[in-house]
Amino acid sequence: MALPLERLLAEGRDRWRRLDELLDVAAKAPAWELGPERMREIVRLYRLAAADLNRLVAATADPELIDPLNALVGRGYRFVYGARRVESFWGVRRLVRFFTREIPAGFRSGRRAVVVASLAFGAGALLGFGAVAVRPSFAEDLVPGEFFTSSPRERVAEIEKKEERIATVEQAADFGSQLYTHNIRVSFLAFCLAAATVVGGIWLLFWNGVILGAVAASYVLDGVGVFFVAWVGPHGALELPSIVFAGAAGLVLGRAFWFPGEVTRGAALRAAFPTVWRMLIGTSAALVLAGLIEGSFSQLSAKTVPYPLKIGVAIVLFVALSLFLFGRRAAAEGAGREGEAA
Amino acid sequence: MNRAIGVAGTWRAKRQIRTPEHVRVRLDPAGPGSRFLGLLVDFALILALTALASSALSKLLPKSLGTLAIATLSFVLTWVYHVGFEVRREGRTPGKAMLGLRVVDARGLPLSLEQSFVRNVGRVLDFAPVLYGLGGLVALLDRDGRRLGDLLADTLVVRDEGNSRRRMAAANLPETLRRQGQAPVDPELARLARHRLSLDERELVVALVRRADKLDPRARYDLFEQAGQHFRRKLVLDLPHLSGEALVRALALAIAATGTRR
Repeated sequence: MALPLERLLAEGRDRWRRLDELLDVAAKAPAWELGPERMREIVRLYRLAAADLNRLVAATADPELIDPLNALVGRGYRFVYGARRVESFWGVRRLVRFFTREIPAGFRSGRRAVVVASLAFGAGALLGFGAVAVRPSFAEDLVPGEFFTSSPRERVAEIEKKEERIATVEQAADFGSQLYTHNIRVSFLAFCLAAATVVGGIWLLFWNGVILGAVAASYVLDGVGVFFVAWVGPHGALELPSIVFAGAAGLVLGRAFWFPGEVTRGAALRAAFPTVWRMLIGTSAALVLAGLIEGSFSQLSAKTVPYPLKIGVAIVLFVALSLFLFGRRAAAEGAGREGEAA
Repeated sequence: MNRAIGVAGTWRAKRQIRTPEHVRVRLDPAGPGSRFLGLLVDFALILALTALASSALSKLLPKSLGTLAIATLSFVLTWVYHVGFEVRREGRTPGKAMLGLRVVDARGLPLSLEQSFVRNVGRVLDFAPVLYGLGGLVALLDRDGRRLGDLLADTLVVRDEGNSRRRMAAANLPETLRRQGQAPVDPELARLARHRLSLDERELVVALVRRADKLDPRARYDLFEQAGQHFRRKLVLDLPHLSGEALVRALALAIAATGTRR
């Protein structure tokens, strides 16, 4: 049974307009300001409009008539069925819980991807190191121009002889902020590549490992391996895992995207979002810290800070990061689920 | 672009959601052009905000802290701007609002914080190699015009329904038609229209007349001539003095007079 089109339009017009107005109000005001009365009215009018849309579609195919009502019902649907976060993200306690519990929980639920990403990076590093150790001329091909110095030893001697490159807080802050904004961008790129292609992300991690291994080998071969560790270590202890983590987060999402299994792709992606988002925020935070260290502490030469201290700091940072993210398995697993529920 | 004509219209309109009331609601994906313009507006706003904030910060803070704060702020602004507006304003950044666009979850629901974050992080790859080259290419290939970030976050940019009220007021069928022509209704034509035309055909007539002004002149002529031919044959009319458009308009008046009934 179809109502005559005209009567449907005449009947519906007023209540559609009212629903439209109410939704306008609702978009601007928070739920408690709207009040239960108007809330109920929205739901009632939405149901009516939905039924009207069904009848209208049965009666006509004219998009000029259907489109406005279609849009209105879509808008009502979003309002009525869109789940809203009751809790604000920005409370202090919420933020503390996010950083101390939910981020580690995210990393733990993505730990398999972290292992895969670490293996790719580690394999690359070993290969790069091995290749240069076996035949030093490989260094020219593997190491990008800006890092390639014909003799690491001379470079180290030069750095140790000259004034400190980073002499003031100002320079350190400037350099540090440049570094971490750049590094976060790079880690986001690694994330995207891994998520969109899976293979691309693994390749990127592997290749970065090769470069690091090759640079390390050329320093070690020239007898200045300790300098290298002291130079890269303090920030590298956070920065290198961060790139691996970003790639791992991408692998988690890429797996959901390409291999959703028995659920739909959308459902698989939505299940992966909490893990991915926590891992990426954690990674970005670690990169900010790493950038600040790289801009200051890492650049200091042995005149100011002895190598053992720098290497010690590197070890402490790496152990602390690993323990923080993966250490408290049994105790924090419950907290992770709690975070999931929230 | 008018959705009823053109190939893009037919394949773009396929994404539907089914509400728990068993009503199918169509989501209307936005085109790459308007999205790019919206992005330009947002980009300009971010630049302006950054410039404003950094000039204020450099006056307030000592220089050593100032550089750090400005670099951080400009970086944070680019990300927080998109995510913040999309989550707080139901998927509308100022640029999107200006262009009448909105980001929604692909299920037609509001997008979540995580989704907004993922789709915006995706910009890093979408932007490559220059000016959204990759994202644009993916959007052209995707049925719903989604860039990589949207695919990964399962979100969709839709044409917004903000002007639905204005359009709803215009959805007054007979009045619109009567206003368009003052000529008296031919009773014979009215009888034919009532008895011999199918619902689809009456709609075709109505739709053509309603949209005549928006059509390209040549397309308008061709369409009306084709439709005129069809109705001449179907209704066995011999009205050589009427152009295709005049005939269709006369039919429209007749339909308006009798009401569109089924």
